[in-house]
Amino acid sequence: MAIKLSKIINSWVPENSKVIDFGCGDGSLLKELFENKQVLGYGVEINDTKIEKCIEKGVPVIKLNIDKGLNDFMSSDFDLSIMARSIQCLKNPDLALNRMLKLSKRCVVTLPNLGYWRCRINLALGKMPITPDLPSSWYETENIHLCTIKDFENLCLKENINIKDKVFINRNGDQGGLSKINPNLFAVEGVYLLEK
Amino acid sequence: MKTETKLIHFSEGIELESGEKLNSFDLMVETYGELNEGKSNAILLCHAFSGNHHAAGSSEDFGIGWWDQLVGPSKTIDTNKYFVVCCNNLGGCAGSSGPSSIDPSSQKIFGKSFPQVSVLDWVNSQKMLMDKLNIECWHFVAGGSLGGMQALQWSISYPDKVKKAGIFAAASKSSSQNIAMNEVARESIRKDENFHNGNYYEHNVIPKNGIKTARMLGHITYLSEEHMDSRFGRKFQDEGSKVEESVSFEVENYLQYKGEQFSELFDANSYILMTKVMDSYDAGKDKPLVEALKDVKAEFLIVGFYSDWLYPPERGKEIQIAAMNNNIRSSFVVLQGDHGHDSFLFSSKTYSNLITNFIES
Repeated sequence: MAIKLSKIINSWVPENSKVIDFGCGDGSLLKELFENKQVLGYGVEINDTKIEKCIEKGVPVIKLNIDKGLNDFMSSDFDLSIMARSIQCLKNPDLALNRMLKLSKRCVVTLPNLGYWRCRINLALGKMPITPDLPSSWYETENIHLCTIKDFENLCLKENINIKDKVFINRNGDQGGLSKINPNLFAVEGVYLLEK
Repeated sequence: MKTETKLIHFSEGIELESGEKLNSFDLMVETYGELNEGKSNAILLCHAFSGNHHAAGSSEDFGIGWWDQLVGPSKTIDTNKYFVVCCNNLGGCAGSSGPSSIDPSSQKIFGKSFPQVSVLDWVNSQKMLMDKLNIECWHFVAGGSLGGMQALQWSISYPDKVKKAGIFAAASKSSSQNIAMNEVARESIRKDENFHNGNYYEHNVIPKNGIKTARMLGHITYLSEEHMDSRFGRKFQDEGSKVEESVSFEVENYLQYKGEQFSELFDANSYILMTKVMDSYDAGKDKPLVEALKDVKAEFLIVGFYSDWLYPPERGKEIQIAAMNNNIRSSFVVLQGDHGHDSFLFSSKTYSNLITNFIES
């Protein structure tokens, strides 16, 4: 995970809170949150090699297909759930979002922006976008539900989800420049703090 | 590998969960490796239903240890680094006090008068063993199946004595189907004409057929349909190696062979007692599991196997959810497992890495 992104997420995580990170990868973000914020955290991951890495770091992890198994862990009461760069891989991103907000008071979602100008140029040329942030061909990508910043915010509106805070990342990995003025066109990634 | 096998006597006896008391008892214990100066490297392995104290290495009486694939020098549980302890549980028949041992008060074989023990009694007796070995805290307590239940119970009964618990192919309680299977096994033993209401020792016979049938049924439940299909399929047994005239298929011959072998080694009363230990276990004691785990301090590694239909992964997930609701640092991983319920006994890359990483983290 890029340093910037983890820094933003760090700033939204209250100390000593209970956190669940969906699509936690090798557990780096949670490990950082243990150290910086003394959180109690659980990762959710489907890949065995990444799960081994989590355990190696001492990060508690649950092997779970988020599409199928999110309901099972509903009874746990979390302060914050995190889904970094994973929501576009889910079968039902809308349902997942609502479930996450039942599972936890707040949630952090980050997603790649299909409205980014380089994606639009690709599409204008009649091709599926391939950019540094979306490097895979259409037939091998895990991103089955890509959307633009605008699409995502419309979904939040429709589902009565409050956007408590948001940050846009430009192609240099920081928050400045044109991505502040027109994120839907110039941001490569949206980072949201959501509440219901 | 430095291995010590010894019978340890506990003259102080033990109060059992049932209210009965054993005035004294013995545990057959095997240890591997050495306890370090800080006494921080002790690991307890809890055996499953028909296991014993012999977890690793090869012995004359018990052959290859039940967890030899994972326990030994430079293995998953590295005996060069850790002091590993395993004991035959109370009520067993591999040296510890059980139905087939002599009752010191009457100088006769206990037989069915041996009191019914429980997972909690096992854990309490292992705690007494821990004290005798001068171990203050287990770095890791682990087991599969009924062994996993003991690891769970350790973390509940002695929260300050367990740093990490490995709960593999286990459940916080047996299901109705588990109990049903065990009852069929018990029935086959009880109805063997040589059972003599549990006093077969006096008649100098053993209810061999009953134990054999019980084990054959048990064996089916330990394997998966897929594993049996790939291993035996519908292949016919060749004439030359039939253990029974009547068998046609390889799978029949296999079960006959395994059942026969087991019936000569395992005590029938122990079989009945062990199945009852399994049936009666309920970590929550009729209350929700989440309440039972409220004082737990250990970290958990819970592993289930998709091919396990005896204690399917859902049972492990229940423990994980209760653990998370108690803010226990707990991980839950489901692996394919090629051997059904028995998968916990076999080493595989991910399973082995998970356990090593968990112990070392």
